[in-house]
Amino acid sequence: MFYKLALKNARKSMKDYTIFFLTVAFGVCLFYMFNSLDAQTAMMQLNKSKYSMMQQLTKIISYISVFVAVILGFLIIYANRFLIKRRKKELGLYMTLGMERGKISRLLNLEMFLIALLALAAGLVAGVFLSQGLSVLTAKMFQTNLTSFRFVFSAGACRKTLLYFGIMFLIVLIFNAASVSRLKLIDLLTAGKKNETLKIRKLWISVVGFIAAVVCLVTAYVLIIQNGMMSLDWKFKSSIILGIAGTFLFFFSLSGFLLRSVQSNKRVYYKGLNMFILRQFNSKINTTFVSISIICLMLLITISTLSSGIGTASAIAQNINGLTPYDVSLSRYAKDTGSLQNTDMAEKLKSDGVNLSKYASDYVETNYYTLGVKFANLPFTEKEIADINQNDKMLIKDFKNSHINAITLSNCNHLAKMQGKKELVLKGNQFAIVGTIAKMEAPMNRFLQNGLTLSINWKKFQPVEKQVISMGLVVGDSSTDYAVLPDDAVKGCPVVTQVLCMNYKHGVTDSTFIKLLDSIYSKDAKGKTTPAYDSQVTKQQIIDESAGISITSSYVAIYVSLVFLIAGAAILALQQLSESSDNAERYSLLRKLGTDEKMLSHALFTQIGLYFLLPLLLAIVHSIVGISVVNHAIAYVGHYDITQSSVLTVLIFAVVYGGYFLATYFGSKGILRQKAENT
Amino acid sequence: MQKILSVEHLEKYYGNKGNVTKAVDDVSFSLDKGEFIAIMGASGSGKTTLLNCISTIDTATAGHILINGQDITSLNSKKLARFRRDELGFIFQDFSLLDTLTAFENIALALSINNTPAGEIDDKVKGVAHQLMIDDILEKYPYQMSGGQKQRVAAARAIVTNPSLILADEPTGALDSKSARMLLESFEFLNKNLSATILMVTHDSFTASYCQRVLFLKDGKIFNEIDRGSDSRKQLFGRIIEVLSLLGGDNANVL
Repeated sequence: MFYKLALKNARKSMKDYTIFFLTVAFGVCLFYMFNSLDAQTAMMQLNKSKYSMMQQLTKIISYISVFVAVILGFLIIYANRFLIKRRKKELGLYMTLGMERGKISRLLNLEMFLIALLALAAGLVAGVFLSQGLSVLTAKMFQTNLTSFRFVFSAGACRKTLLYFGIMFLIVLIFNAASVSRLKLIDLLTAGKKNETLKIRKLWISVVGFIAAVVCLVTAYVLIIQNGMMSLDWKFKSSIILGIAGTFLFFFSLSGFLLRSVQSNKRVYYKGLNMFILRQFNSKINTTFVSISIICLMLLITISTLSSGIGTASAIAQNINGLTPYDVSLSRYAKDTGSLQNTDMAEKLKSDGVNLSKYASDYVETNYYTLGVKFANLPFTEKEIADINQNDKMLIKDFKNSHINAITLSNCNHLAKMQGKKELVLKGNQFAIVGTIAKMEAPMNRFLQNGLTLSINWKKFQPVEKQVISMGLVVGDSSTDYAVLPDDAVKGCPVVTQVLCMNYKHGVTDSTFIKLLDSIYSKDAKGKTTPAYDSQVTKQQIIDESAGISITSSYVAIYVSLVFLIAGAAILALQQLSESSDNAERYSLLRKLGTDEKMLSHALFTQIGLYFLLPLLLAIVHSIVGISVVNHAIAYVGHYDITQSSVLTVLIFAVVYGGYFLATYFGSKGILRQKAENT
Repeated sequence: MQKILSVEHLEKYYGNKGNVTKAVDDVSFSLDKGEFIAIMGASGSGKTTLLNCISTIDTATAGHILINGQDITSLNSKKLARFRRDELGFIFQDFSLLDTLTAFENIALALSINNTPAGEIDDKVKGVAHQLMIDDILEKYPYQMSGGQKQRVAAARAIVTNPSLILADEPTGALDSKSARMLLESFEFLNKNLSATILMVTHDSFTASYCQRVLFLKDGKIFNEIDRGSDSRKQLFGRIIEVLSLLGGDNANVL
């Protein structure tokens, strides 16, 4: 009988459970998908560096999963509280019939267990299928082939999901028992009649609050733009604090302000059910502005991590070409400030058993001379630097403190030839600047155009071209711009770095060449010799690494932001639904007064729509500012197009947020209709 | 006299074939413009069902209801909603004011639903409020008002759209005797001065004694009818008590 009752209840209140079900299923699905990444790699062809990238990603995901589990746990507890609230009358009836509290909480728990089990199963099934898609995506991002597509089921991820959600449900059970034991019969039975105390704020409080909110937000925006998210100074901190305070104030005063301003326009206020809608919204948001503000901030995190996380990924991917002009770079660095002893790296390698001509189609050794001049020493006044675009100030600061390094023209032309680029021509007193960083280009060009000259060994050099020549000199280095000088100009300057760049012969890959180097120079190699170089970077390594960073940043962004999105949307949905029973009375009254169904549906739609839209709108405004600042910061790494990630963000929002909105709307409509039929 | 409401052989059955409950059983009566009548009866006599049928909230099983010459039993649900908001005004036992709106807005809402131009709303609401003597509470919320004030606001909401017929369901049911008297005097005022047509359902003899005509229902049928004629309110009250004792039972409601 007891089980029958629970089963029947669960089936009957399936509508109420929709949001709960959706949320748990979504959560389980995401949880499984991202935790099964490890198992998915099984069907990919991964080399060592990719494999270790993947291992690291799995580790990061597993840490984040704990955090995600905590958020989802809170969400489930919240959802459950809503369900109890919704069924107060029914519980009161059980109590008057003499059912003990213990039994009631057992009944509730059994119901929840049934629903949760279903949601868990649904989520797992969806997760297992969707994770197949994820592994295809992973393979694509790694630019590797799936060895053979096969259906992967990760028992480990499944176990982990069951464990985490099992613990969550256990905690919910305890909360349930606690909340049932606190219930009072009289409250349960009169739950429907209880009037919510209305909180109407005075007009001036709303107006002052709203102005304060706007001032806070604008100040926060200005501060963060000035700070540029480049350092955690007081500007950054106060911007965050002001932003949060402004958001809270905004929602605290918004409805009052909105109400007053619409009220002053009688034509709009008295049109149709506008008056009713605004008042509804006003009465609700006054009691829930705290949660709305938190949701707004959560949405902000979602939007900005989604778009900038994916943005970073694509910025890195685009920058790759500039970073990988050759197949391999082997570098030696000067210790301390002294000059590097000029040794032939190729000779050293040969004597250690690596004949480069066997592996390389072409190679060149480049010496980097330091000119002992900083850009700051150049004849520019502080004012001229200050005149340069405000946003570039940070860059200029770094720029001014770095020494200018130079290479010889013949080296440069050899490198250009290896890349298939045009050779440079310099007269005896000319120089050129080469580099690859997009962000450096504008200020450097300005320097050149403003008549930058270099004086080395008491000889003055003029720029051959008034702009930076885009060319990568080393694999994986995008740190500075270099000067190119005629071969004899640098005589006597100390060499700080020596780099050997080479391109592979056809058929040679990392796995042949680098393996050979490792076998000779690695610490446990027999007959240990001092290496001919300090560091080695290959094109393949850079590609793998950037793919790894891309995948990590975009997966972490998607994972975290989806969880935040689901949590925010679910809370909004539950708040609206829990109001629906109260609203039902109001709507049935409107119906009795002769309001037609279309008007009612419209009012309900607007009411719920406002509730969903307002936090989203503020979050969008926040994130437009935030993202534009982040873009600036990312531009250090490379340019990226925001449209792609924005489209993806909008798509995800439309599906998840829109889905919750529709579920709420139809759920509320159902509750209203149900009430209408009962009366 | 113009006929506002005429109910012809109205029947409302509940239940299925084997077990039929006749809540309203072949009831016919009519109401002229400017009349103020009460329908009395014990619990279960069918008076609320009758009111629900007239107010188009419920549908009749058989028979016809004509309001202002229009047969509402043949209207579809969309037309019914429009009819309800154009022709009918409602007053409920539990006031049914929206707790989120002020008194003024509650009254204005009825006009808004009717698509009244915004410019006219202010004057209309204030005019009605003045007649019902609720000028000073217009900016208050329902939770700041007494029961009598709430019911007068509800009455103002019912009358403000100038409906053909005002339907009141136990309007004094939740009021103390002083508030009830004030409300009923307001009804009389509306009836006499604005020639509002009012149909009231009650089981309280005192409330019914304010009307011109009283219909008595018993087991779904009209049991008796009293016309006030030129009697005073006190005399009518006496006659109502007489009929009630004839009706038998339900003595608890007599005094």
